[in-house]
Amino acid sequence: MGNYRSSRRDFIKTAGATIAAPYIITSNALGNDTVAPASDRIVMGGIGIGNMGRGDQGAFLGRGDVQYVAVCDVRTGARNESKGKVDGHYKNTDCKAYNDFRELLARTDIDAVHVATPDHWHAIMVIEACRSGKDVYCQKPETRTLREGPLMINAARRYGRVVSGGSQRVLEDYRGIVNQCWGGELGPVKSINVNVGPLSQLCNLPEEATPPDIDWDLWLGPAPWAPYNGNRCSGNFSTNGNSWRSYVDYSGGGMTDWGAHHFGGATFAVDVRELQPTDVVYSEEGGVWVSLKYPNGIEITHNKPGMQNLQVVGTPGEKRESKPVPAYKGQGGIYGDFIDCVKTREKPFRDIEFGVNTIAVSHLAAIAYELKRSCKWDSVKQAFVGDEEANRLCDRVRREPWQL
Amino acid sequence: MLDQAFDALKTFNWGADLNLLAPITDAVVSTHSSASARLELENRLAAVLKTEAPRDAKDFVCRKLMLVGTAASVPVLAGLLTDKDLSHMSRYALERIPAAEAGAALREALPKVSGMLKIGVISSLGARKDAEAVPALAALLAESDAAIVKAAAYALGAIHNDAAAKALAGAKPIAAAKSAVSDAHLSCAEALLAEGKKVEALIIYKSLMNAEEPKHMQMAATRGMLACAGK
Repeated sequence: MGNYRSSRRDFIKTAGATIAAPYIITSNALGNDTVAPASDRIVMGGIGIGNMGRGDQGAFLGRGDVQYVAVCDVRTGARNESKGKVDGHYKNTDCKAYNDFRELLARTDIDAVHVATPDHWHAIMVIEACRSGKDVYCQKPETRTLREGPLMINAARRYGRVVSGGSQRVLEDYRGIVNQCWGGELGPVKSINVNVGPLSQLCNLPEEATPPDIDWDLWLGPAPWAPYNGNRCSGNFSTNGNSWRSYVDYSGGGMTDWGAHHFGGATFAVDVRELQPTDVVYSEEGGVWVSLKYPNGIEITHNKPGMQNLQVVGTPGEKRESKPVPAYKGQGGIYGDFIDCVKTREKPFRDIEFGVNTIAVSHLAAIAYELKRSCKWDSVKQAFVGDEEANRLCDRVRREPWQL
Repeated sequence: MLDQAFDALKTFNWGADLNLLAPITDAVVSTHSSASARLELENRLAAVLKTEAPRDAKDFVCRKLMLVGTAASVPVLAGLLTDKDLSHMSRYALERIPAAEAGAALREALPKVSGMLKIGVISSLGARKDAEAVPALAALLAESDAAIVKAAAYALGAIHNDAAAKALAGAKPIAAAKSAVSDAHLSCAEALLAEGKKVEALIIYKSLMNAEEPKHMQMAATRGMLACAGK
C-alpha cells in the first residue's frame, strides 16, 4: 500500500488538535452503505485507456472501495475522454491526466494501477509499477517475450506487490470443462487441446501522416522505430493486419491474445498453472501442430488435427479424487478478486506467475513454429536445452531508453 | 528466388510487399543444419548493411542477423552502434548473438556514444550479463545524467555478480537515480542469497533498511533479511 492511506489516517487522527480552520468533510469522504470511507478506498490510476482499458477503468471506477484519481494515455483524445469519464463519475475535476506513465507512477498517493497498453509495454510498466510500490492489474497477455516473465514475477515478489493478470475468461468461460476435470469425472487427465491463432507477423505498412494527438515515439516505446500508420496502432481486436495485435513488435497475435484465454483455461483445467512445459514437439503429421509436454506427464496440444478447442483426453473408468475448484476472492469477478487481494495481500486468482506460465505456452509453441523444429525447455534455467538459436528468441531487444 | 529477395532489399521500404523477402526468412530456417549455407546467408545479409539500402531494408537484415548472426557479422553491426537511426537494430542483433565478439563490440562502443544511444548500449550489456563490462558500468554510476545512472544501475543489477554488488555498494548516485541503484542492489542480494552467501546478502539488505528509502524498499529489505534468516 502506498503512503496515501496511512498518512490520511494519521491526518484524521490528529486533525482536531492541529487544525483551527473549519474542515468540511463531504458525505463521499465519509462513505455510506455502498461507498467505503475515503481512508479505506484503494487509490487507483489507469495506464492505456483504449478498448480494454476502458472496460477495466469502468469496472474499477464503479467500485465503492476504489478512488480513481489518474489516467494515462499517449493519445490526447483517449486521455481526455477517460479523464472526463472519471470526473463525471465523481462530479469534480480532480482526475489528473498524463501522457507519460512514469509521471503517474511517481505519485506516492496511488496504491494500484491497471495497465491495458499494447503488449510490448506490459513488462516495463508492471516492473516499474512494482518498483514504485504499486499493485498492478495487467491485461493479458502479460508478456511479449519469455525473458520478461520471470523479471515481472521477481519484481512483484521483491516488493511484495499484488500483481494480477487480466483474463476474466479463464474462470468464467471454461467453468464446465474445469469442473469436469477437477471434479474427477474424466478420470486422470492425459491431455487437452487448444485451437487458437494466428501468429503475429512483421509489419511493413506505409508511412502516413502522424496525427497531432498521438505521442508516436512513446506509443512505440521499446519496439523498433517505424513510421506511423493507423492500422499499425489500432487497438481493434482483429489479428488480420489492421491492428497492433497483428504485428510481432507489439503482440504475439491471436496465439498470445486469445491464447491467454484458451491456454489459461487449459492450464487451469488440467491443473498445470504452476508449471511450464519441458518438451515442445513440432509436428507436420496431418497438419502443422505442436505438442507441449509437462514434467508431470500432462500434454497440451495446439491445433492438433481433428481435435476441438479445449477437448480433454481423460481416462474414463479410472478414478480420480475430486478437489475444490479455486475461485475469485471478494465480490465483482476478476476485478473484485484483485481489489480484495490488494486489501488482504493474498495472491489473486490470476497471480502474475500463473499468467506468465500461461503465456509461456504460447511463446514456446510460437518459437517451435518459427523454427519449424522441436525444442526442449528448461523451465528452471528459463532456457532452451542445446538450442542456442531458440534461445535467441527468448527476448526482443528494446529500443533505447527502455530496458527491463 | 533468394537472389530476387536480395535484389528487392536494395530498395525495400515501408509499404513494400513483405512477401518479396519471404525467401530470406525461409532460408534462415532451411540453412539451420548446413553451416556453410548458413554462413553464406549471413555474409549476404551483413553485406547489405554496408550498402545504401533504405533503413527499412537494414532493419529487416538486423532482424535476421539476430537469429543467424555470428562473430562474422559483428564488425559491420558494430559500425552501426553510433548511427542514431540504426543503433537499436544493430543491438537487436548484437545483444542476442552469443559470440564474445558481440559483447566486446558493445563495450568498445560505450565511450563512443552518448545520450539515448549510450543508454541502449548499457542496457544491452546488462541483458547479456556481460561481467567484463562491470568496471565501465560502475564508473557511470557517478554521472550527473539520471537516465544514464539508472540504466547503468539496472545493467549491474542484471549482471549481479560480486563486482557489480561491490560497485553498487560504493555508489553515491544523484538523488534522482537512487531508487534504481537500490533496486539493482536488491538484485545482487537475491543472487547472493541464491548462492547461499547469506552474510553478504544480509549486509546489502541492512544497508537498505534506512529511513531515506521509501517504504516499499524497506519492506523489500525486511523480506530479504527474513529470507536470510530462513524465514
